[in-house]
Amino acid sequence: MIDFHTHPVLIRELVAQDPSFERAAREVFYIGNNFQPFETFLLQMDVAGIERAVLLPVACRRARQVDVGTNEQIAELCAKSPRLIGFASVDPGVKTAPSDLERAVRTLHLEGLKLDPALQDFDSGGPEAWAVYEAAEALEIPVLIHTGLSWAPGSALERGHPLRLESAIRRYARLNFVLAHFAWPWVWEAVALAMKYPNVFLDTSCLYYDSPKEFFEFVFTRQIPITLVERTLANQIVFGSNYPRVEIKNMVRALRALPLTEGCLNKILRVNAERLLARGH
Amino acid sequence: MIIKLERLKIQSRRSEEAINITALVEEAIAQSGVQNGLVHVMTTHTSSGLVVTEGIPCLEQDILTHLARLFPESEDYHHRRYLDYDGRLGFNADAHLKSVVGGISCSFPIENGKMARGSRQTIYFMEYDGPLERTCLIQILGE
Repeated sequence: MIDFHTHPVLIRELVAQDPSFERAAREVFYIGNNFQPFETFLLQMDVAGIERAVLLPVACRRARQVDVGTNEQIAELCAKSPRLIGFASVDPGVKTAPSDLERAVRTLHLEGLKLDPALQDFDSGGPEAWAVYEAAEALEIPVLIHTGLSWAPGSALERGHPLRLESAIRRYARLNFVLAHFAWPWVWEAVALAMKYPNVFLDTSCLYYDSPKEFFEFVFTRQIPITLVERTLANQIVFGSNYPRVEIKNMVRALRALPLTEGCLNKILRVNAERLLARGH
Repeated sequence: MIIKLERLKIQSRRSEEAINITALVEEAIAQSGVQNGLVHVMTTHTSSGLVVTEGIPCLEQDILTHLARLFPESEDYHHRRYLDYDGRLGFNADAHLKSVVGGISCSFPIENGKMARGSRQTIYFMEYDGPLERTCLIQILGE
């Protein structure tokens, strides 16, 4: 099983190496839990039955004065465990973003691009982001982009609206866009994008109230019908936990509690992620 | 009078787990130099606990099983909401309630440099929402 959405924000070794990381975790990403040794991250994967996890930084220095993890830090963590799949993040508001991305992929061997229009404060559908999408398309890597509600203080809700991405999705048809958090609360808009465009994927890392089981039951059986997941979107959904906002084990259990077939669960938990991560897909 | 406070780090490796820390408490007493006094042990986390019972696997299992029966994960808890002070969802009320009922601390007299305890009494750190690195405080007072 693959978790397509995790953040390194509580890894203590990063704080020891870079004191500004604590401010990034506490004030920018906004999480209050105790920092944990790197080992805990792998143990959290173990108890959830997750074999590999995508690790995401956010290059938000321009907007927030500090990055929430750098590409170099992600590469260093990935070097410690083959179970981690590192994504890069670059700031579309910076002119060197395309070359920064190319370096992160070719030199640091990162395997995807993470963008967060809310934290990075850019228009995901505007021309300022096009050069970055173009670079990602040329590098044949997926882009995982924050959509939906962001808990980060000071971030604008509208930055996360999935329909802002439509022009980019159309323009870069060979680039796979993974819309994070199922774009909650704009679930139908995200679903419509996925139904219309084959280069759109959705990750399950949505949890905004209640428990993971309750929230998944609401989103995937009442907000949209479960048959839509099983019959129409099964090839375009990837499992994401958003750890450490929520423990991976709880999100896996919540997904498995849905009335989905094993075949569909296998696609969401493994096959679709493998397909996205295969260069040249 | 000697007063010493030690922070014991414990890495739990499972979601729920009973970890025998008796030897670690004995070691802290030995290192403190206290011959006669009191040792107090306390977990600093509200989703973990500390219990004293007979040190055998069947009881470890029974404690975890029956606390889970008292506080099922599927129960309806008010704690299931976004915690705006923490940037996280709270949905581990079952772990917190196990901690409340099971207790978070224990104390033993120290006599001739060792804990004065019953031969079956074993100190367990109880993980209710792991795996996590946890901290226990061991305070030793005496002379």
